Amino acid sequence: MRITRVMSAALACVALAVAGCGGDDEESKSAKKVDPGAADKATGNVNWCIGKDTTGTFSKAVKEFSSKGQVKAKLIELPEAADQQRTQLVQRLRAKSSECDVLGMDVIWTAEFAAQDWLQDVSDVVAKRKDDFIPSTLETAKYEDKYWALPYNTNAGFVYYRTDQVKQPPDNWEDVYSEAEKGDGLVYQGARYEGLTVNFLELLYSAGGKALSDDGKTVEIDSPEAVEVLKFMADGVEQGAVPKANSTYKEEESRRAFESGKATFMRNWPYAYSLGKDSKIADDFDITTFPKFGEGEGAGVLGGYDVAISAYSKNPEGAAAFAEFLTSPDWQRTIMTEASLPSTLTATYDDPAVQKAFPFAEKLRTAVEQAQPRPVTPVYPQVSEAIFKTVHAALQGDMPPEEATKTMKSEIEKALQTF
Amino acid sequence: MTAKALPRGKSRLRARSARGRPKGSGRGRKVLLWLAVIAIMIFCLFPFYWLINTSLKTGPDLSAANLVPPNPSLKNYDSIFSDANFITALRNSVIVASLTTFFALLFGSFAAYALARLRFRFKFVILAIVLSITTFPPIAIAAPLFKLWTDTGLYDTLLGLVPPYLTFSLPLTIYILASFFKEIPRELEEAALVDGATHFQAFYKVVLPLAAPGFVTAGLLAFIESWNQFLFAITLTSSPDARPVPAALAFFTGSQQFEVPLGTITAALVVITVPLVIVVLIFQKRIVAGLTAGAVKG
Amino acid sequence: MEAATVARSRKRGSGLSERRLAAAMVSPSLIVIALVAAYPIGYAIWLSLHEYSVRVPGLSRWSGLKNYDTALSSTEFWEAFRNTFLFTGISVAIELVLGVAFALAMHRAFKGRAVLRATVLVPWAVLTFGSGLLWRSIFEPDLGFANSMLSALGLPGGEVVWLGQQGYAMAVMIFADVWKTAPFMALLILAGLQVIPDELYDAAKVDGASAWQRFIRITLPLLRPAILVALLFRTLDALRVFDLPFALTRGANGTNTLSLYAYEELTANRLVGLGSALSVLTFLIVMVVSFMYIRFVGGNIRGLADER
Repeated sequence: MRITRVMSAALACVALAVAGCGGDDEESKSAKKVDPGAADKATGNVNWCIGKDTTGTFSKAVKEFSSKGQVKAKLIELPEAADQQRTQLVQRLRAKSSECDVLGMDVIWTAEFAAQDWLQDVSDVVAKRKDDFIPSTLETAKYEDKYWALPYNTNAGFVYYRTDQVKQPPDNWEDVYSEAEKGDGLVYQGARYEGLTVNFLELLYSAGGKALSDDGKTVEIDSPEAVEVLKFMADGVEQGAVPKANSTYKEEESRRAFESGKATFMRNWPYAYSLGKDSKIADDFDITTFPKFGEGEGAGVLGGYDVAISAYSKNPEGAAAFAEFLTSPDWQRTIMTEASLPSTLTATYDDPAVQKAFPFAEKLRTAVEQAQPRPVTPVYPQVSEAIFKTVHAALQGDMPPEEATKTMKSEIEKALQTF
Repeated sequence: MTAKALPRGKSRLRARSARGRPKGSGRGRKVLLWLAVIAIMIFCLFPFYWLINTSLKTGPDLSAANLVPPNPSLKNYDSIFSDANFITALRNSVIVASLTTFFALLFGSFAAYALARLRFRFKFVILAIVLSITTFPPIAIAAPLFKLWTDTGLYDTLLGLVPPYLTFSLPLTIYILASFFKEIPRELEEAALVDGATHFQAFYKVVLPLAAPGFVTAGLLAFIESWNQFLFAITLTSSPDARPVPAALAFFTGSQQFEVPLGTITAALVVITVPLVIVVLIFQKRIVAGLTAGAVKG
Repeated sequence: MEAATVARSRKRGSGLSERRLAAAMVSPSLIVIALVAAYPIGYAIWLSLHEYSVRVPGLSRWSGLKNYDTALSSTEFWEAFRNTFLFTGISVAIELVLGVAFALAMHRAFKGRAVLRATVLVPWAVLTFGSGLLWRSIFEPDLGFANSMLSALGLPGGEVVWLGQQGYAMAVMIFADVWKTAPFMALLILAGLQVIPDELYDAAKVDGASAWQRFIRITLPLLRPAILVALLFRTLDALRVFDLPFALTRGANGTNTLSLYAYEELTANRLVGLGSALSVLTFLIVMVVSFMYIRFVGGNIRGLADER
């Protein structure tokens, strides 16, 4: 069974052990592969474990899927914050629980989960429809040349602004901050969590900097660009362009602050657009592409969620069927028009209904195509922690930027050497 | 006993001292005292009041800090009672706490009697071991238990929660029951032994009935201790079917879409706390007696 | 009396001897403790001596004391250590002072005593984790009750992001703990107050002692046993604090405690070896404090085991 296979793989590794155990062949042999045809004949129940259904579309998906076919799906909501969702999923997977069949995975978890043999190999399923997806989104589902999930929704950051307070949206961050200082401020995700890593990396990428080298082996975060970006962000807090409360904000808190009229600018994902249109500032805001920083081009960080099949699922065929449903053109159009979740399928953006709901659909697709991923490594959680803990301290004024970047570098190096 | 004799004595004293002193300072003292009492009551009760207050608010009211809900509504209570996961969590907590209390009383009373009455070697060592459990940080046990329970299938089950809960309830239970057992005059057991009873019969025929109040106290405290357990609750369960209330609260996603789950969380807290507060108030004398049993005699 | 009892028990043939009965009666508890406390601690020590791969499933290797070295040389550990002791020291001190003050008030307030006692039990009855959530909502920036009230009253502090700043977050945590526990301490001390005989106070008054002198010379010394027991349990509880920081801040902004840090390493970072080492270290620290305490301060526990 599973466990004995993994055990024998581990034993084999230990036998070869001294030089360490890349052991890729052993691992991929032990990972289950999903047969694309099986989904058509699936029956039974599947559970979908994903974060809080803030827009109602998750429940809708489950209802619609269950009413159409043989497989009955159920939604199991995890906490709102991604890192708490991860902890919950990890706990279940470590316990080999079969409670979750389909996992809603933040794109940064793929490497980690796949490396631990917690996911089923869906390369064959993906191969059938490879050309439908936006290429950058497919990269998020890939680890060691195999596909471990289907891209469900993607995301790229945007800057929201109040049209009644700002005439012309600035095209660079320096102007955003100076206008924010004069107005009601800029809010973003400044709490001590993954979201802060995203916000920091976006500025860093826009400045032309990098966290890790392309091969993922060298740490490059200790650079003049990083120091500059960090200093810029810290000054923003100190000079009042960013409110102090921002250091506790995640996505929902910053959205609520912006929606209740407390801020002039907000950096957030596209999902806040349709929610904002339902709020009291519906007619007073708009969205603009990511501003530049210094000389560089505005560059976003690729976000989003993939749907994967748990290695411990008792109904992988049903799970595959559900995953296919979630990534079908019809449903992808629904999530875009009703939940402001950017689709991972290229064609969706050309749909007239989508373009109506998303006047900036073209820009969004381009942003997604050009967005850069966060560092891909099975120890990403620790790398991210090294970043957000240090950035948070720097933004509080507890650590000067130069020291912060050095600390980040040594912490990330330690993380990369994790056994 | 002694406590009851005090009030009479004290009021006589106060009358005497009030007579012997100039009236002003006596009244001044009284006023200060009553102020202190009121301050204590506000300190203890206000957050609880705030809890109830928030649970009756919905929508934008939740973001405003009004002392009285402007539009009081029971909507939050509606939401949580129609949330199947919450009801299940309540059921889970009740089951686990009850099982734990039962076993704590059973095992605890045996051990307490042995420690309080019987003679045997290593008594002090065993007592030290039992009491040392109260110093264990739960985190030290949580990860090994997680691994153990995962391998034996007890992970994510109600039954799996009972052993750790029991371990942390036992010391206090034993301590309280032992104090109560010691209160019972030896002569009663001696008489039973003379009449031909074994030690064990003396235990459950003579001592147990007399120590019944102690059982109520110890049982209540064990129940509350289990009810409060948090670390084990979040580490050893993951599905709503096995989650007790504290764990469910931690991961409350709220039953409403756009609103802060603050309304539903506070409603849930009120639902959990009010019965407990009522029980505590009814049995307050016993609870206090149990908690202070060792402190005074010790 | 003793000899007669012994003679009597030897005469009976039926029933277990005292020793065997005692063993039988104590064993269920001991078995549970061995199973759930002793064995897991041993297992935790075993886990802490290995490293468990987070990249390759099922792979582990012996690492000796390396995890302890990592733990003891990490700034996070020492921060958690410092935070935990800071929290313990301050909150226990405040709870003791408030506890004595409440107890004195409750002792004197003859008329309202039952009501007071009931009131004082209310914080204790609120779920610990729940109370953490409650305080978090009260101290929310901008719209929480605390800031609204402070601003409305014109007092300083209305702008503070309580849980978002070092120092302030710890203050909130201490405040939340004091709310929950000072009343409980008051009860323990009240029991101690109630057995102090009035005659002592009478005699002192006759000798001309002031209220303060009576407090220092009579009340406090006689309260010693009650205070010591309360202090011991509270200190050990505070050293292990987990629920409150988890609810308030998840350990951010200077509120990371030993237990919480170990938990995060174990679950979020999946570093089973390091997390176990941290758990064992926490365990040892609490043990050392309790031994020191018992050794230098109290022999009260022996009393329970003595025959009367």
